[in-house]
Amino acid sequence: MNWKTYKYELLVGLSIVLMFMAFGYKTTKVSANENSTSTTGVSLYELERIVALKKVWGNKKIAKKVDKLKTLVPASKVKWRKKSKKLTASFSGLDEREVNKLSSGILNLAVEIQKLELIKVGTSYNVEFTCKW
Amino acid sequence: MNFTGNTKALVLVYRDMPIQTLNESVNIMLTPQFYTLKREALPVKYSYQAKRIAPSLFDGLLEEGHKHEYFVAKEENTWLFIAYDLEKIQNFLLEKGLDLTLVSKMYFAEQARENFSAPVMTGDKEALVNFDEQLVMVPKAVLADDVSFIEPDESFTPKKGITLEGGEKSFLTKKESYTLAGIFLLFAFAFVFEGGRYDGENEEENAKVQALLVSYPSLQSSYTRDSIASKYEDIDKKERKKREIIKRLSGMIFKGSTLSSFKMDSKRFEASFVCSDAKILKKVEAMAKKEQFTTSKFGSNELKVEGIL
Repeated sequence: MNWKTYKYELLVGLSIVLMFMAFGYKTTKVSANENSTSTTGVSLYELERIVALKKVWGNKKIAKKVDKLKTLVPASKVKWRKKSKKLTASFSGLDEREVNKLSSGILNLAVEIQKLELIKVGTSYNVEFTCKW
Repeated sequence: MNFTGNTKALVLVYRDMPIQTLNESVNIMLTPQFYTLKREALPVKYSYQAKRIAPSLFDGLLEEGHKHEYFVAKEENTWLFIAYDLEKIQNFLLEKGLDLTLVSKMYFAEQARENFSAPVMTGDKEALVNFDEQLVMVPKAVLADDVSFIEPDESFTPKKGITLEGGEKSFLTKKESYTLAGIFLLFAFAFVFEGGRYDGENEEENAKVQALLVSYPSLQSSYTRDSIASKYEDIDKKERKKREIIKRLSGMIFKGSTLSSFKMDSKRFEASFVCSDAKILKKVEAMAKKEQFTTSKFGSNELKVEGIL
């Protein structure tokens, strides 16, 4: 067979082959990129999430923040027992405003609430609060 | 030895030529019997410009009903324009046994006019003569008896020729194949370009990861990462739930509904609401049920709401 007979067909065929090779190259790159993006994305997402969780729940300054609860109500109404990373506090004779203030303070603290008890006695409230961090 | 020149045999093609048998690739040179020519001094610089105006130069000169193609070549002060019917030529070549696949290039005798220093025999009756700066076919009778003839050989081969479009077995014409190849190559280029763009696209994210790992070296170990994640995720989930429940319960305190007690530990919670009337109690109960808490009534105005964490 004389290749010159089909030289134009060969030219077109060759260009098609080149096109498919280029398409393969692109597909490989896209696939590699997707895998890499997904791997990197997961790592970054995981890392950012872990760092964020650690910042919130492993905050070393939380002990100081916990102490601020004491200042929200008059000292006479508070029994405070803080040991290591655990707090047991009793608040008695609180009015509604103080209860609201205290509950907001507790809810905004990144601590593990072990016990939160509130009892209405007459018009005032007694609160028992135990937490750790 | 000639490494650069054209060493293929040159076959002169004329009407009365004998049947040929080709064993190898040849070049052919057409006599004026197969083309119409014009010489014009035109102010054009490039061949493609000359080719564009070629059809208008042959207006009224060519046989109608035939598809003509044009060849142009720059001469010293003029442009040489040649119009030819390729289909007719190809048919003639086939009739004369010239396998188109063995025809390498096609030339016109006019291109090699200067080589025709003496007449060339083209059959019994005619001869190709360089007359008045143009090659013409003349009857042999008009030539002097003692005239000597020359034989064109490969030294007559001009630089510029026409490649026959693949012969009769080819499915594509030159133009079609170039267009298709161009399109496919364009796609190939686009794919390569697009593929290349994906390189290094993740650099920014990788840099962020690296920065975090530098700031928190302990997170370099996946074991440590998993351990920290598991520890804090558990705490985060439970504590968020506790706070969410307290928020929902506080929404049940309004005019006529008072919280009388609330207790929450790490496993469950319970809250008691004292309501001013049955209507308020019903409303609080509905709100509690909407939050999927368990409710139980005590007396006519007290509602206990409880649930598991």
